Amino acid sequence: MKSSGPLKPWLLLSPALLFLLLPLYGLGAAFWNSITDQGALSLKVYEELFRDEEFLSSLLYSVWIALAATVLSLFLGWFLTRMFASLLASTSGKLAAWLPMIFPHFVWAYLVLLLFREGGLISGLIPGDPSLAQDPEGIGIILTYIGKETPFVILMLLPVYLTRERHYDDLVETLGGSLFFRIRDAEWPWVAPVFIETGLIIFAFTFSAYEVPALVGATFPEMVSVLTYDWFYSGDWGERPLAFAAMVFSSVVISLIAWVAFFLINKKRRLLTEGL
Amino acid sequence: MKKISFWTIFLCFVFVPIGLLILQSFTAPGSLTEPSMNGWTGLFERRRLVEATLTSLVIGAFVVLFNIVIGMSAGKALALYRFQGKDILDTLLLMPILLPLLAITFGVHIAMIRIGLADTAAGVILIHLVPTVPYSIKIFRNGYVSLGGKILEQAEMLGASAGRTFLDIELPLLRAPIQSVVFLTFVISLSQYVITAIIGGGTVVTLAMVYFPFLESANTTLVAAFSLWFALLPLSFYLFAEGLIRLLPYQRRRRRRTHDLFY
Repeated sequence: MKSSGPLKPWLLLSPALLFLLLPLYGLGAAFWNSITDQGALSLKVYEELFRDEEFLSSLLYSVWIALAATVLSLFLGWFLTRMFASLLASTSGKLAAWLPMIFPHFVWAYLVLLLFREGGLISGLIPGDPSLAQDPEGIGIILTYIGKETPFVILMLLPVYLTRERHYDDLVETLGGSLFFRIRDAEWPWVAPVFIETGLIIFAFTFSAYEVPALVGATFPEMVSVLTYDWFYSGDWGERPLAFAAMVFSSVVISLIAWVAFFLINKKRRLLTEGL
Repeated sequence: MKKISFWTIFLCFVFVPIGLLILQSFTAPGSLTEPSMNGWTGLFERRRLVEATLTSLVIGAFVVLFNIVIGMSAGKALALYRFQGKDILDTLLLMPILLPLLAITFGVHIAMIRIGLADTAAGVILIHLVPTVPYSIKIFRNGYVSLGGKILEQAEMLGASAGRTFLDIELPLLRAPIQSVVFLTFVISLSQYVITAIIGGGTVVTLAMVYFPFLESANTTLVAAFSLWFALLPLSFYLFAEGLIRLLPYQRRRRRRTHDLFY
């Protein structure tokens, strides 16, 4: 690790800093537009937003869908990585895990539509022909995300499992620990930081992405992103401030969750370097 | 036993769905047995699709290029140097993929209208950087960590210029992260519908812009072929980029991988 020449790293970072202006400006402008009303500071838009029942129910709906999709793909991905780490490290295994990554989310959404909508190739085989896509419960959305995010979880966790210190496994085994203790004491401390960060990325993405719910979501209830996009493009632009406020509020929700998650990661890191 | 269960899971959840898509693209709509080439011929008969493919390729190429420049330099700084404010920067660089892309795009849109970047391909390229650059920086950072600073110091000590070091050491040894970034960035850029629609304003027509309204059509054969086109494009772009990478120094023989994808 070099520390000489205090200017050098900042020189190297200048393109990235220039890039950061873009999202920072975007968020700032969205925030500014949500707290001003005809040039004057005002919280009127937020008052209106929190009185809007459609928004409140779609906010809860989004949290539920994103949470379900995140938890399911995290644990599925973790389970598969644990089980098949060595196979996944081979070229064919790696290609298998990468294959779903080539398809955009909306193509995977179409696939879910094709297989699970009423009369679809799979749902048509289930007695009663239930529609599992464009359903009010959001099963189609969750299925799409599981299909796309599980490989992502595998690709994030795989390096951890391939480079992990294995002596702790033996230690737990010699001390007569069960599988539960092996996972808790020998694997989790190493997996946790990547696991939590990956979960955070997936939650943030599924909570606010537009494409998938627009395709496989029901007309009611809508996810926040779909509702907001409609507001943004409503005919007279009268609902634009609402769209800004809804997105700013979504950012706040995600930031709070991210803050808690990073607190957990750092606590874990401290344990790893100081404890044990 | 483990091998069998692995490939069974893969078969059920990845291969069969994609296989069905392939099968449907070569059979009549709604039937999986009656052969038909209408999907693929119908696809390429559409001029809009051919033009959109070119637009997507050009936009994707620029997004990849910017990602390599920003990702490599920032990844190097974060991997090899210690400096004040690194923790804050780490968090800031993760922010673009954590906060809603729609929020960022709504805000950026206003500025882009003012400076004349709205409804242009340049504006779309810029907004596509937001969901891609954080990943590229991460990948290059890990690449530089496994490369280590020692080998670069050695070159410096032997009197190599920065350019020489870059060409002879960094580029050849960072081949795997470059490959990951090329592929991942291109796929993400190709997948952006809503931010392209907002910033491009309908004037910049990428493949996603054609695909979305297309889904309303009941012709499943055509949509299946179109869906597969989305996978073929990054693959061919990747092969093309591979060809370019081979032109770099020391690439004649395949070298041992020093770095794993995503690691």
